[in-house]
Amino acid sequence: MSEREIIEKKSGEHRETANTSREEQINLLQSITMEVAAASDLSSALEIVLRRVCEKTGWELGQAWVPNRDKTLLVCGPVWFCGEADLKHFRAVSEKSHFQPGVGLPGRVWKSKQPVWIEDVGDDPNFPRTKAAKAVGLKTAVGIPILTGDEVTAVIEFFLCQSRSENERLVNVIASVAAQLDLAIERRTAAEELSRTNDILRSVLSNMGDAVIVADKEGKFLVFNPMAERMFGTDALQMPSNEWSHRYGLYLPDKASLFPHDQLPLTRSIRGEEVNDVEIFVRHEKAPKGLWTRVNGRPLRDLNGELLGGVIVCRDITPIKEEEFFRAGQSRVLEMIASDAPLADVLTSLVLLMEGQAEGLRCSILLLNRDGKHVRHGAAPNLPEVYVKAVDGAPIGPRNGSCGTAMYTRKPVVVTDVMTDPLWADYRDLARISGLNACWSTPILSPQGEVLGSFAMYREEKRGPRPEEARLTEIATHIAGIAIDRLRQQETLRERDARISFAAESADLAFWVIYPEQNTAWMSDKGRVIYGFDSKLPLTRELLVSRVHPDERAAVRAAFDRACASHGIFESEHRLVLPYGKTRWVIVRGRCLEDEHGSLLELIGVTIDVSAQKESDLQLQIQREELAHLNRVALMGEMTASVAHELNQPLTAIANNASAARRFLERGNVDPLLLPQLLQDMVADSHRAGEVIRGIRALVRKDKSVVRSVLNLNAVIADTLRLVSSDVLLCESVVTTEMDHNLPQVEAAPVQIQQVLLNLIMNSLDAVEALPPAERRIIISTRSLNGESAEVSVRDFGTGLPKDRPDKVFDHFFSTKQTGMGMGLTIVRSIIETHGGKISAENAPDRGARFFFHLPAARGDSKSQAA
Amino acid sequence: MGDRAICMTSSEKSDAEIVCLVDDDLSVLKSIERLLASDGLSVRRFNKPKEFLTYVQAHAVPLVVLDIWMEEMSGLEVLAQLGALSPSTRAIIITGREDPTVKLTAIQSGAVAFFTKPFDDHQFLNAVRGALALHPIE
Repeated sequence: MSEREIIEKKSGEHRETANTSREEQINLLQSITMEVAAASDLSSALEIVLRRVCEKTGWELGQAWVPNRDKTLLVCGPVWFCGEADLKHFRAVSEKSHFQPGVGLPGRVWKSKQPVWIEDVGDDPNFPRTKAAKAVGLKTAVGIPILTGDEVTAVIEFFLCQSRSENERLVNVIASVAAQLDLAIERRTAAEELSRTNDILRSVLSNMGDAVIVADKEGKFLVFNPMAERMFGTDALQMPSNEWSHRYGLYLPDKASLFPHDQLPLTRSIRGEEVNDVEIFVRHEKAPKGLWTRVNGRPLRDLNGELLGGVIVCRDITPIKEEEFFRAGQSRVLEMIASDAPLADVLTSLVLLMEGQAEGLRCSILLLNRDGKHVRHGAAPNLPEVYVKAVDGAPIGPRNGSCGTAMYTRKPVVVTDVMTDPLWADYRDLARISGLNACWSTPILSPQGEVLGSFAMYREEKRGPRPEEARLTEIATHIAGIAIDRLRQQETLRERDARISFAAESADLAFWVIYPEQNTAWMSDKGRVIYGFDSKLPLTRELLVSRVHPDERAAVRAAFDRACASHGIFESEHRLVLPYGKTRWVIVRGRCLEDEHGSLLELIGVTIDVSAQKESDLQLQIQREELAHLNRVALMGEMTASVAHELNQPLTAIANNASAARRFLERGNVDPLLLPQLLQDMVADSHRAGEVIRGIRALVRKDKSVVRSVLNLNAVIADTLRLVSSDVLLCESVVTTEMDHNLPQVEAAPVQIQQVLLNLIMNSLDAVEALPPAERRIIISTRSLNGESAEVSVRDFGTGLPKDRPDKVFDHFFSTKQTGMGMGLTIVRSIIETHGGKISAENAPDRGARFFFHLPAARGDSKSQAA
Repeated sequence: MGDRAICMTSSEKSDAEIVCLVDDDLSVLKSIERLLASDGLSVRRFNKPKEFLTYVQAHAVPLVVLDIWMEEMSGLEVLAQLGALSPSTRAIIITGREDPTVKLTAIQSGAVAFFTKPFDDHQFLNAVRGALALHPIE
């Protein structure tokens, strides 16, 4: 269709548009384009198009159709333009209409995405609004799609009351206008979209809890959100990046060194690095206590990967860090406890830690004395000294300040105003001086529930504890409880140790441990003194053994090896030879300890220095021997008759023989047979005399008196009786013997056994002295006790022993005699006991006394005797 | 053998010249016998007092040299019995122990001399000679 034809077709219409020239059409296009570009939204742009097309081309009605939300129907848009004709009825019908794709004029355009021209809508079969159109006289209709890309975003339609064939040029013009509209709509939508995104972003950046900062390549801040302003105390200051740390107060975690600018997360992300979880301490005028931030950074790039700048997100982690530091502080205090730091230091650290957790908080720890009645200063680094001193040593009680009362009642005591609280009556002035108004105290309890002390919080404000302060109290009392309880336990242990080592030192006890595996040994200080080891000398088992007297060393080593092999016990009494030759007698007892698998762990034991005891034992031994000797000498004195007689006989014989020989020689008639006999007899008698003297000497000699040999007691008895025969004779007494010929032999010192027998016999002789000669009888008998020991009994028929306690005769200085020392029987008992035997005394059933002793059979003898 | 030789010598003499010796110590007994023999005196030895008491009842014994302390019987007892069995027999006491009580008892019982062993041979032999009414030794 040509431009001309359109003009022709429009002729006679109420608006003169028929002669619309090409120029006019171009003008129309330009003006519409400019107006549409200036339109603020799609609706107004559409309205412009509808109006301008109608005005410029004479079409009477323009309407727009837009797809519904789910794009199934076209609905009538709110914008329309109507010329002078009364087309409201048709408009009303259109507003109520909607079209599926392909239905009606808009539906056809929507579906085909092409303009559609209808010469007469009254004749068109696919025009549902025909009736309404006829009613208002509408004939020609044209529909134009508005495409965005490939999608129909709207359909515009125009109507004319005259029938007119399709005017292609007009259609093209309108289509061009519609295309402008399409561009305008696209542009507008993009702008609207961008603007909305920006709004959201701005809102997010404004409200988010993290600081966000974006900078370009030159370090110029593009984004600096409100949180960033709050965190860094100022809005974006444009300055070279090397001034950032200084100006914004950015520090390394040591809180002192400025953060190196080239290491700042923003600097690094501008350089193209990804930065993760860098912690920065921030301190500036508005945050004098400082805060902690954790920063993540990313580089900013365009679609081509070109670096544009960097962005960082900073999160305030101050509460997390504070909790972390608080926990670390607790750990430090616990470590101090574990490493046995002094209690005062531990408690002071604890108090300082707690005070650091809240502004204006002061704390103190008091200890309860062991008497359970008075307090002792524990820690109060920030309370005045006068206050601390006044409280130290104060009693606890039901009205004794917060702490004294808390310890007394075992319950927390909260005093919100010490100036009025009755509990503080005695301490008000102190509190005033110290500037304390509120004091809350909680008892510190041991795990066993024992009151150890109290933890108190003080404030200048008159108030009670807040939840976070209650939490601090809970932690502080817990840790203080651990510290004090541990100290108490250690004190108890130390006291016990001290008592043990005092006891050990008093008792000359050495403790030692030998670790056979490691070939090392440990010894208590006293032990080192006993063994003569320097206090620092590392010890080994061999070193310990090397101190043993050479004579006993092999035996001690063997005993030690036996104990180790059997995991058993070790016992030995031996001598130690110390440097410089000093000798000690020690008793050593040890025991093997095994681990859970039963392998030998260590040998622990004690060494007792028994030198003093041993010395006195030796002294006693010497005294005993001295006494025994005296006893034997005394016995000799008592045996004068026997001694004299025994010596006299051979001496008399010698003298007589000698005299006889001299006389025979003087007379000159020597019997040649007699003289040798005579001389031989003289020799024999002199030997006999010598024997007597030897016997006496053996009895009174000191040395060899304890030398033992295997003896037959029957023989010893016979010898002894010979020795005293004269005395028996002089007493006009009779000694009879009843010997057991199967008597086992014994291992004994002959002199001592003779001494025992002599004592018993002389006693018996004394006992029978007062009797008529016929009754002066003594019976000595022996018998074997199952072959295991030999018993000797000496029985008389005298007056007997004390009725109540016959054994009393063995006591020191017991004597019924006028002349005796009273030592004889005591010595007798000691001799028998030294020989492993036993002696008793009893009154015989009829009359007289009976002494009997037995000695163990010599080793190896009991069997032969029993067989 | 030697002992028998002396006895043989003495047995050749008359009973009146024979001195009886009583001592339970054989060695002492033999030595006194020799001493007396060296002075030409004959001797009859008794080891057991009871044997002497039996002998004295059947023989004339002018002199007995008697020991006091003997296992079987005390010399004092022998002396006491001797007074009844043979009042003419004189007794010389020899003892190993100086004991005034014993000495007194012995003298009271009729002993003519009392010697403590060991004794002087000269004095002893003179006492024996005196008891036998012989000349004393110069």
